[in-house]
Amino acid sequence: MALVEIRRLTKQFRKGDEVITPLQEVNLDIERGDFVSLMGASGSGKSTLLNAIAGIDRPTSGEIVINGSDITKLSRGALADWRAANIGYIFQMHNLIPVLSAYENIELPLLLLPMSAAERQKRVEIALDAVNLRDRANHYPRQLSGGQEQRVGIARAIVANPTIIVGDEPTGDLDSETTEQILDLVQRLNSELGMTLLLVTHDPRVAALAPRQLRLEKGKLIEKGREVALVGGDFQERSA
Amino acid sequence: MFKFAPYVFKSLWRHRSRTLLTVSGSAVALFVFCFVGSVQRGLSRLTEDQQALRTLIVFQENRFCPASSKLPEDYARTVAKLPGVKEVVPIKVFTNNCRASLDVVVFNGMPPDQLQAARDLTLLSGSWGEFDSKTDAAVVGQAVAQRRGLKVGQRFTIGEVTVSVVGIFRSSVPAEDNYIYTHLDFLQRARGQSSVGTVTQLEVQVSESADPDQVAAAIDAQFRNGPVGTSTRSKGVFQRDTLSDLAELIGFAHWLGYACVGLVLALVATTTVMAVQDRIKEHAVLQTLGLRPGRIFRLVLAESILQSIAGGLLGIGAGLALLAWGGFAVGAEGVTIAFNPSLDLAISGAVISLVVGVLAGLAPGWQAARTQIVTALRQA
Repeated sequence: MALVEIRRLTKQFRKGDEVITPLQEVNLDIERGDFVSLMGASGSGKSTLLNAIAGIDRPTSGEIVINGSDITKLSRGALADWRAANIGYIFQMHNLIPVLSAYENIELPLLLLPMSAAERQKRVEIALDAVNLRDRANHYPRQLSGGQEQRVGIARAIVANPTIIVGDEPTGDLDSETTEQILDLVQRLNSELGMTLLLVTHDPRVAALAPRQLRLEKGKLIEKGREVALVGGDFQERSA
Repeated sequence: MFKFAPYVFKSLWRHRSRTLLTVSGSAVALFVFCFVGSVQRGLSRLTEDQQALRTLIVFQENRFCPASSKLPEDYARTVAKLPGVKEVVPIKVFTNNCRASLDVVVFNGMPPDQLQAARDLTLLSGSWGEFDSKTDAAVVGQAVAQRRGLKVGQRFTIGEVTVSVVGIFRSSVPAEDNYIYTHLDFLQRARGQSSVGTVTQLEVQVSESADPDQVAAAIDAQFRNGPVGTSTRSKGVFQRDTLSDLAELIGFAHWLGYACVGLVLALVATTTVMAVQDRIKEHAVLQTLGLRPGRIFRLVLAESILQSIAGGLLGIGAGLALLAWGGFAVGAEGVTIAFNPSLDLAISGAVISLVVGVLAGLAPGWQAARTQIVTALRQA
């Protein structure tokens, strides 16, 4: 059984009189330890798919089973608890809480888990070491560079040791040198720590780092090297 | 929830000018609330006191100002013989101002041997011995002494009356702290020969078994055909009637108290709404990290309550301190209402601050908790 199993996932929304369907009966399996990139044109639905997997958006129909739980059936509160325990989210714009220090930002997800203060401190320090920001622990976001802010964002995403880390254009707001540093860090999360990653990106260089590369086109998911399409409710694979 | 306390405090400090202005506004409103509340409680104490119900005041009929009520002093002996009467104290009242005033000085001239029995006074300084031996001696209520800066050994003049201060007292009845007690015959003489042999009022203690209304009716009947008619009422009713104009104003002032509560509600709610609108994206991020909508609601509520409580405690503290040190009182026609701090006033102010904080945070908290994560994250 795959870590993430998505079956016949459809997302529709209404824009005026028009019904838009960014995701139409999408199927996807992600195994534990996979590093998956997801590309697609603007408006192709890649962020919608990512947000559905992260449990911050509800699909119109279909199933998303992650680690054995169908998250589409969870209530709003239960889904929040599930996110706290299972999802590490890396935002494009860092989205750090401006009034909290780097340390406090990283500690935030741990406050929601049953954990002693000593255990929290240990985990935050490990996360700070992982992103090489121990010396910036007490700095506030306004005192950090864009790259440092994103590294704090990554530390916040990994600190609770989530089931899967999702990133929505994590390098979209960075210059090329900083992008390299962040990509190196992301690769190490997968290769050295065995973390499961799903990154949405526009950047082919970022996508190329991932062993599995997916593309969303017209609501359908295509994997490089094979096309994944739904016919009659079953998976079919076809050589590209 | 306490794990998020640093976030709540830092969020409030983020817009510190706005927060401090809100806290200041709440403080001013609760300060006024305290003052209005203390006046209302002072009036209630005066008119609803159980002791006041068993004490009768005999005043000259159809007279309202102490200066115009002139009862023959020997009425006291007649009244003392009536059934149900335990004790009669003749009192001469002299006041610097018959109209409503915030700095009214009221002299009560009483027979010195009856003063200590009729009043529950504790001397804070000075001695009763000196009061008994000196004709022009006066014991001064602590509120008047504080307001006028009077000390034992000083001489003090109001109008035609000059007294030697021989004691400062505290009374179990807060309004009494605004009185000055002298010898009856001294005050009668000081006011001119025409006052000798007359008093302003008689204070009648009714025995436990007697009905105060029946005794009052008997007193008025006794003097109906006398040289001076009387009007006898319980002390509570007498004080309420005397202060009726003020009581109406005070009754109206309680709306001012409600207005203050409304002001705090509007102020804190506005600030909290602004804080939530500034942080729509931040609340979406917190939800993404796994905070339940209910927790977001409680965080917003905590900010609202903290601002309201902080302002409330400041205002209540300042109000009670000023009431305690100011010795304020309002009086009319020789009767005064003391503005005193009290524990129940502090508690009711704190409870109101808490309730207002909760009410002010409900709508913004709900708004924050209902944030649609994806939509909010798209905001710049």
